[in-house]
Amino acid sequence: MNMDRRSVLGLGGVVAASAMIAPGIHLIAAPERTEASGQSRWAMLVDVNKCDSDCTACTTACRQENNVPTFDDPQRDIHWIRKVELKDKKGKRPSVSLPVLCNHCEHPPCVDVCPTEASFIRKDGIVLVDKHRCIGCRYCMIACPYKARSLVYHATELSENGNADVPIRGKGVVEKCTFCVHLVDQGKKPACVDACQKDGNGAMIFGDLNDGQSEISKRVHEIRTQTMRADLGLNPAVHYQGL
Amino acid sequence: MISEFSTIKGNSSKYLALLAGFGVLLALGAFSFLYVEINGHGATNMTNQVVWGLPHVFAISLLVMASGALNLASMATVFGAKQYKIFRRFSAFLAIALLAGGLAVLVLDLGRPDRMLLTMIHMNFKSMFTWNVFLYSGFVVLCFLYLWSMFQHERYVKLAGSAAFAGRVILTTGTGSIFGVIHAREVFHSAITGPTFVAVSITSGTAMCIMLLVATFHYTGRKLDKSLIHGLRNVLIFFTLLVFYLLVVEKFTKFYSPAFYDVESWILTGPYAPLYWIGVLGMGIALPLAILFNPGMGNSIKGIMWACGAAIIGEVSFVAHVLLAGQSYPFNMFPGWEMSSAFLDGQVAAYSPGILELMLGVGGIGIAGLIYLIGIRFFRLLPQKAEAPEGWKPWSP
Repeated sequence: MNMDRRSVLGLGGVVAASAMIAPGIHLIAAPERTEASGQSRWAMLVDVNKCDSDCTACTTACRQENNVPTFDDPQRDIHWIRKVELKDKKGKRPSVSLPVLCNHCEHPPCVDVCPTEASFIRKDGIVLVDKHRCIGCRYCMIACPYKARSLVYHATELSENGNADVPIRGKGVVEKCTFCVHLVDQGKKPACVDACQKDGNGAMIFGDLNDGQSEISKRVHEIRTQTMRADLGLNPAVHYQGL
Repeated sequence: MISEFSTIKGNSSKYLALLAGFGVLLALGAFSFLYVEINGHGATNMTNQVVWGLPHVFAISLLVMASGALNLASMATVFGAKQYKIFRRFSAFLAIALLAGGLAVLVLDLGRPDRMLLTMIHMNFKSMFTWNVFLYSGFVVLCFLYLWSMFQHERYVKLAGSAAFAGRVILTTGTGSIFGVIHAREVFHSAITGPTFVAVSITSGTAMCIMLLVATFHYTGRKLDKSLIHGLRNVLIFFTLLVFYLLVVEKFTKFYSPAFYDVESWILTGPYAPLYWIGVLGMGIALPLAILFNPGMGNSIKGIMWACGAAIIGEVSFVAHVLLAGQSYPFNMFPGWEMSSAFLDGQVAAYSPGILELMLGVGGIGIAGLIYLIGIRFFRLLPQKAEAPEGWKPWSP
């Protein structure tokens, strides 16, 4: 078949046009999703006065529960929850230690920027990443003000004593704290909170903010608490007491 | 005066050497992509602090330059500068070539490039990335339409050219807004980032057009009227001044607020300060203007070529500075407190680009270069001679 150059140019245009129109065509049906209850708004409260800087019960439990790998590389290690030490810049307040994790914002910027809707928010406020839909663009990592997300830089495998209930994430996708959604959906607490209450000082509590009878609801409404970067208007679900 | 368009012969040893050179760059990029695809991004020097590294600097620089490369055609079609009508085909085709190179790097650096189709199936219209998928592909469509009308249906040129002009302004605003809309990062968030990207695109795109026109006409033995290049030099001067103005306005606005003292002082004195002072301001603004306003160098083709080279380095520095400084500056999650953690909170991120990242980046240049070289060989993109209309004389220093 002979094609003149104008035809080649025209064909190029058609290909480009097809690429532009293609986004509007659904070639593959999305899997049916089960829905969480919109009645709940899961949240966490951390009493920093009870959080000991030497205690890593929450981070250890998280790694174990969620098969969070370490690569012996601080630049690329994955942290779903981490202990942060805070030192007053003016030296007037005592230093404090507290856990930082995904804040499961009501208006999550990571969800806003995700081009494929791999990052999404459930009706109960838990923000998740669909590891099968994430293309590894890392825009969510750029947008998250809490540095709560990590890219999986190396291939990982489920270790012998790993948790088979939580699948590992393949290299090239972004992962983060899920509030242990697999436990929450069974009526249990996230592993970090459970460990803090059992092995730590009980600094962390978890519950439904919409349930007026829950401990977290009462404390958040009765005690002065604060959230990180409240000025951004994201309405995070992780509250801190005693800062 | 418009002379006949023609392809180049493309049988000289220099042409073949250039093809081979860009082919090597493409091969380097392909190797890097495959290596990272197999071994993961752990093979690069990107980290969980600096998640967009050197490949993104190359990709975004090429994309921004692509949009600016079309300015030459827009000058003739939209703004009535008829003396540049002869370069419209070249300009539109170059825009496609540069865009293809930039897009390839961007896509091939994804953590899961095999899932790229998902961006066309599941779309989130709140994401600037989703908008950019449409804007980039739409820009290519508009450039093809523009070329098609230039080749075959001149009566549609004004319409297609105007649409492509609007498309490129929106496209580059969208690219800048990838950063500008991010509230979380103090270095990024600014309404003026989008317009600055547009201005930077025109400086770098014009510089690339000048360099390629001069080189292509020289090596193919075609006549290029010097005054046409002088006119483009004036465009470069105007938009370089515009970039400087926008940078000054941004710095003034941010320094007016005490909330930005720390971050702005860090930009001007921190580890990325040399990139800002030497790369963005020195190479991108001061050197081109010093050359182009000089009566001797500013009127010589050699001097203009040096200024163009500096402007392109300035553009790449600007993109690199926005990207890398923006990610390296630590998050300020607890104002009034100093942070430290095993996740390197509170620290300026350390990042030095890796060789695989460089290879992927130059692969994009290889793609753009090959498309351009093959384009001028098989399509009648360039006039046999380029002459300015009689009596037309642009301002000169």
